[in-house]
Amino acid sequence: MVAGGKSALAGRRVLEIADESGVYCGKLLADMGADVIKIERPGGDAGRARAPFLADRPGEDRSLHFLYMNTSKRGITLDLGRAESAPLLRSLALGADIVLETLPVGRLDALGIGHASLAAEKPEIVVTSITGFGQTGPHSHWKSSDLVAGAVGGPLHVTGDADDPPVALAGEQNFLMASTCAAASSMIALLSAARTGRGQHVDISLQETTLSVSHISGVGKWLDDGIIPRRVGTGLTASVPSGAYACQDGRAYLMVNRPAHWKALAQWIHEETGNEEVLDPLFEGPSSRRIEYRELLDLFISDMTALHTVNEIFHEGQRRHIAFTPLQSTEDAARDSHLQSRDFFVEVDHSATGPLRYPGAPFRPESTPWSISRPAPRVGEHNQEILGGELGLAQETLESLGQAGVI
Amino acid sequence: MDQQALADLKVVEFTQGMAGPWIGRMLAWCGAEVIRIESHRVPGVVRLYVPPAAKDRKIQPEMSPWFTDWDAGKLFVTLNLKEPGGAELARKLVARCDLVVENHRFGAMDKLGLDWETLRGVNPELIAISSSGFGDHGLHPGYVSWGPNIEAMSGMAWLGGFPEGQGAMTQYAYPDSLSALHGLFAVLCALDHRERTGEGQRITLAQLETTVAMIGPEMMDQLAHDQAPARLGNRSTYRAPQGCYACAGEDRYCALSVSSPEEWHALCRIIGREEWAGDAHLASLAGRQQAADRIDEAIESWTRSRSPQDAAKTLQAAGVPAGAVQNTEDQYRRDPHLAERGYFETIPHLKKGEVVAPGIPLGLTGTPGRTPRAGAAMGEDNASVFRDLLGLTETEYADYLATGAIEAPPEPNPESPSPSPTGD
Repeated sequence: MVAGGKSALAGRRVLEIADESGVYCGKLLADMGADVIKIERPGGDAGRARAPFLADRPGEDRSLHFLYMNTSKRGITLDLGRAESAPLLRSLALGADIVLETLPVGRLDALGIGHASLAAEKPEIVVTSITGFGQTGPHSHWKSSDLVAGAVGGPLHVTGDADDPPVALAGEQNFLMASTCAAASSMIALLSAARTGRGQHVDISLQETTLSVSHISGVGKWLDDGIIPRRVGTGLTASVPSGAYACQDGRAYLMVNRPAHWKALAQWIHEETGNEEVLDPLFEGPSSRRIEYRELLDLFISDMTALHTVNEIFHEGQRRHIAFTPLQSTEDAARDSHLQSRDFFVEVDHSATGPLRYPGAPFRPESTPWSISRPAPRVGEHNQEILGGELGLAQETLESLGQAGVI
Repeated sequence: MDQQALADLKVVEFTQGMAGPWIGRMLAWCGAEVIRIESHRVPGVVRLYVPPAAKDRKIQPEMSPWFTDWDAGKLFVTLNLKEPGGAELARKLVARCDLVVENHRFGAMDKLGLDWETLRGVNPELIAISSSGFGDHGLHPGYVSWGPNIEAMSGMAWLGGFPEGQGAMTQYAYPDSLSALHGLFAVLCALDHRERTGEGQRITLAQLETTVAMIGPEMMDQLAHDQAPARLGNRSTYRAPQGCYACAGEDRYCALSVSSPEEWHALCRIIGREEWAGDAHLASLAGRQQAADRIDEAIESWTRSRSPQDAAKTLQAAGVPAGAVQNTEDQYRRDPHLAERGYFETIPHLKKGEVVAPGIPLGLTGTPGRTPRAGAAMGEDNASVFRDLLGLTETEYADYLATGAIEAPPEPNPESPSPSPTGD
């Protein structure tokens, strides 16, 4: 945390029992200042064994995924299946404003910390569940994964080249969107509880969050025009022109949505290539007017981009208020001069890895800054502090729980 | 009806595109009063909709399905913010609200006399979010971008897709929706802070940064090793096999993922390769990753003769995570689960009677949301907002209309490419 800085969620507590589908929700809340207590199984969370690893060497504190997704959290170990855990789990849950969980439907109730059971003692509590298909309905017991969510939620069908099978995006985006939605919903439930005194069960379905973030050509448009979108490469079906265009040293991405932007682009193409046809008023107006001319316009644009480097197209395009941007590799993005000028990447020192650079704030609140207050916890790092100090377990009890493999 | 979660919240939007409007759409679904300020001079792109079956009907700003998806449930007023009276009315709306959502180009609000310091001056507890491609400082804050531009720039597009390919891009302007969800979360945190301290604040969001944060572990890999991470396509570093497998029919696929031994054994049984279940080499993740091509081939020879729905049902019944690769029609017509959960929302529409829209996936079981209305015209709510909510007298309202501060609908002009009232 920035010295002396305030945190928006200071004083809020979250209990996290989450796999890779929900860890980012905990991170969002923790980096905004909530005290997020992450429960791992004794020996450490399965996510610690997940590649990529620092210097490609596995180790319980070397998974870059685990390190990134668990910043600012405190960690304890607890075997949820053991009878001895039940009272501890319940105390921890009742001490929280939000219980965040990704267990199979029904498991939280079986553990004695379902929403109804907790609310009987603490009506304002919020329980946020993230599952593949939600808590109700005929598929509620189906298993999921990021790829399965991308299938049933729609993105796969429309992502990739037209002649290839469907393909996923990098970085398990469906998990991240379910997590972000869960974080927002949890905050809405907290704000509502502050007024009414009543919390609630937040039921996040991976299928539904995936569907909602990817619905740009979804049900409303299809019922209207009968067009079922499928894969078309880099362009947007409904927006012409759009896509990645080859330059001398790479590709630049172009999108034209406003009538004025098309005019500016047509004028530029005309100046550079002498093309007269591109100025035809036939092509003017909103994007949807140009759909039938996609291939022809792509040729006109490529004739011009081929004359320049990516950077020339980027900056001259922007000077003319045309939305050209470079298509960057991760290496380019790591060195991106705009991100550098904003000090986007931050350094986080972890006792096991030494300082590493992490992507920084996803948004910047001025008075209560986003910040990584601590690196991801080591296995059981806060057992003593939380179970001993805060729950008040005696040293002997902690030791016997440890020997019995409960913590 | 139960009180909705955000029934007391008042929001004013100075927005365009999708990244800003979707924040207001979700807040309105939770019961907030959301007033979106528009201008006939620069209609929002989601309103620029020409009915595909009747192009001669020109642009129909109320009929656009995109407009329903991103803006249903709000109140709509038209102001000419370049008129002193227009900016003045906007400040009056801001004075009585909790939250401003803004995603105009960098500097545009300042020029209109609607900069943050001014707005905070009229409303000391105000919370505001400014969302843009590049943020409000740095090398080029004023550059223009749409969601896909940011996707291309972030490294995400380059890293997606099959290993032998050149990357993959979404067709749904993904940075717009991911930024909207992050923006929503950020303003809710600021509201929670204000509840407890009385302090408002401004939040800026640069979509480029939010999008890079979405490939966080991969960027850490790049930054730590100065080496590009591998493109994984449909495979995973911790699940194998995993992929999309061709099924019976044209362009039909089923996705599946295996991680536990139980899932692996069940899959071997289903695809008729019981002998693999006892193979020590294939018992480990690494072993299955090495044999991925061979395993994929066997899976596909099983899926090819089945529909994706049947394949998924059989796999799930045996405990293997799987799902049909669904298109829009599958989701709406052939997904009994989404139907039973009531995922799609039917919304009363001022022009069409009713429309169907994707659900708002907030899952608030105690305070379920709803969308009261779709299909509002530009300026639909001018009279009720300025007279009833702001308390202008008839004479004052008429004066603002006369100066053009409150914009009246333009005269229909069939030759003009700018929006005309609904076609014949």
